[in-house]
Amino acid sequence: MRLITHNMLQCHVKGCNANNFPLELQEVVLEQEEAELNEDFLRNMLGKIEYEALVATCLKLDINDLPAAMPADAAYNDEFLQILHRVILETHIKSGKMVCPNCQHIYAIRDGIPNMLLAEHEV
Amino acid sequence: MSHKNPLHIPSPFQANEPDMTPEQKEQQYVHSVYQVIAPHFSATRYKPWPVVEEFLTTMPAGYIGADVGCGNGKYIGVNPNLFMVGSDRSSNLISICGERGHEAMVADGLALPYRSGFFDFAISIAVIHHFISPERRVAAIEEILRVVRVQGRVLIFVWALEQTGKRDFDKDVQDVFVPWAMPKKAEPKKEKSAKSRPQGVKKKDRKAVEAAAAASSSSSATEDQTLDQKEVISENMEKLTLQDTTTTTTNESSSSSATASTSMSDPTSSETADPAAPAAPVYNRYYHLFQKGELEELVSRTNKATIVQQGYDRDNWWCIVEKAQN
Ligand SMILES: [Zn+2]
Repeated sequence: MRLITHNMLQCHVKGCNANNFPLELQEVVLEQEEAELNEDFLRNMLGKIEYEALVATCLKLDINDLPAAMPADAAYNDEFLQILHRVILETHIKSGKMVCPNCQHIYAIRDGIPNMLLAEHEV
Repeated sequence: MSHKNPLHIPSPFQANEPDMTPEQKEQQYVHSVYQVIAPHFSATRYKPWPVVEEFLTTMPAGYIGADVGCGNGKYIGVNPNLFMVGSDRSSNLISICGERGHEAMVADGLALPYRSGFFDFAISIAVIHHFISPERRVAAIEEILRVVRVQGRVLIFVWALEQTGKRDFDKDVQDVFVPWAMPKKAEPKKEKSAKSRPQGVKKKDRKAVEAAAAASSSSSATEDQTLDQKEVISENMEKLTLQDTTTTTTNESSSSSATASTSMSDPTSSETADPAAPAAPVYNRYYHLFQKGELEELVSRTNKATIVQQGYDRDNWWCIVEKAQN
C-alpha cells in the first residue's frame, strides 16, 4: 500500500463519523520502490490530498522531506512534485496496522495489502 | 439413462427463506465461492471488455479511480495514465492484484473505507448482481457514488436476464445460481453433457431446493481443500474451458445440488471409477439477473446521479452515471 492510499482511507465502522481520519500507522515496515513520475496525477492530487495529515503521518514514520505547508506554486514546483512523488507513490507500507483515532479499530496491513473488512456488527 | 445434471441448482434465495440473513447468503454463495475459485477465476479473466476499456482510456490523464469489486485487477492497469485503487471482498483475488503490483485492498462494497468525494471516477464491473436484495443493490451503488466527487462518472456492468449467449436462462427467473466448474485433474472420460442451463426457483421445486440449501450449508471447504485445489488448478490451467465440464449424475438434480455448493463436490464420482482422476468440483454463485431498465431504475432510486449513457454488451446491461450536485 502506497502512502497516497493511506491518505484516502478513513475508519468506516458504523457510527464512527468524526475524528476517523487519518488512521494512525503503527509498527509499519516501509519499502521504497521506484515509479515513473506522472505530473498530471500529482497535480490532480494536490486538490485531494489532506496535506496536514500527510505531513503528520510522514513525520511519525521519520519521513521529513515534505515542507510543513504546501507551497503556493505546488503545481509547477518541480522540486516539490518530485518529493511528493517519492513520498506518496514510491513509499510502500509492506506491513503494519492502522488504528482509528476515534474508535480504536485496528486495520491490519499484510504483504502490502490492507484488510478493511469489518465484522458484521460494525457495518 | 442417467439424468443430465444441468450444472445448476435453482435459487433458494427468496424472501420466504427465513433461516439465512442476506449477509449469510452472500457469504456462502458469493464470498466463499470466490475465495475458493479465485485462482481459476482469475486465469479466465484477462481480456478487458471493450466498453470498460474505452471508458478507462478516454479518462483524462492523472485521474484517480476506484475499481470496486476489482477481482484480479484486470482493469487497473488498462490506462497507465490513471491511478486506480482496487477493492474486493475476496482476499484471495486481492492477493493476485498485489502480486501484479496493483494498489488494492480487501473491502466490502457496502462499506468502502474511502473518504467521501475522493475519486474522479469509479467502475463496478459484474459486481452489483451479486447482492441479494434490491435494497442492497441500491446501497452498493450509493456507496460508490459517495466516494466519487460531484460530476465524477461511474461505469456499472451487470448480467442481463435477456442474454442470448452460451447460457440458456429461464427468462422468468431473475435470482439464480450459476455454477462454476473447477478444472479436473484428468480429462473427462465421458461425452460432454448438454450446455449448462442455469435457472431459478420454480414453485414446485422449492421444497427440494430448500432441502438442498440446508444440506449444503452444513459443509464448507477447508483451508487444506483450498490449497489442494490451487495445485490442481495450476496443473490444468491450459486445459480450462469455462462451463464445459462433464457432469452427469444418476440422482435427481436437486439432490446432487446439495453437495454442489461452496463445498467441493464430485459430480462424476458415481461413474468415475478411477480414483486417480478427481472430478471437477462445482461451485454455485448467486446472481440477480437484471431486466432491461432495471439498472437505471436502481440508479434513479439513489437520487444522487444522472444517467449519461447506457447499453447492452456481451450479455450485460451497462450504464455510465454522473454524480449529481447535491
Ligand atoms: Zn473508527
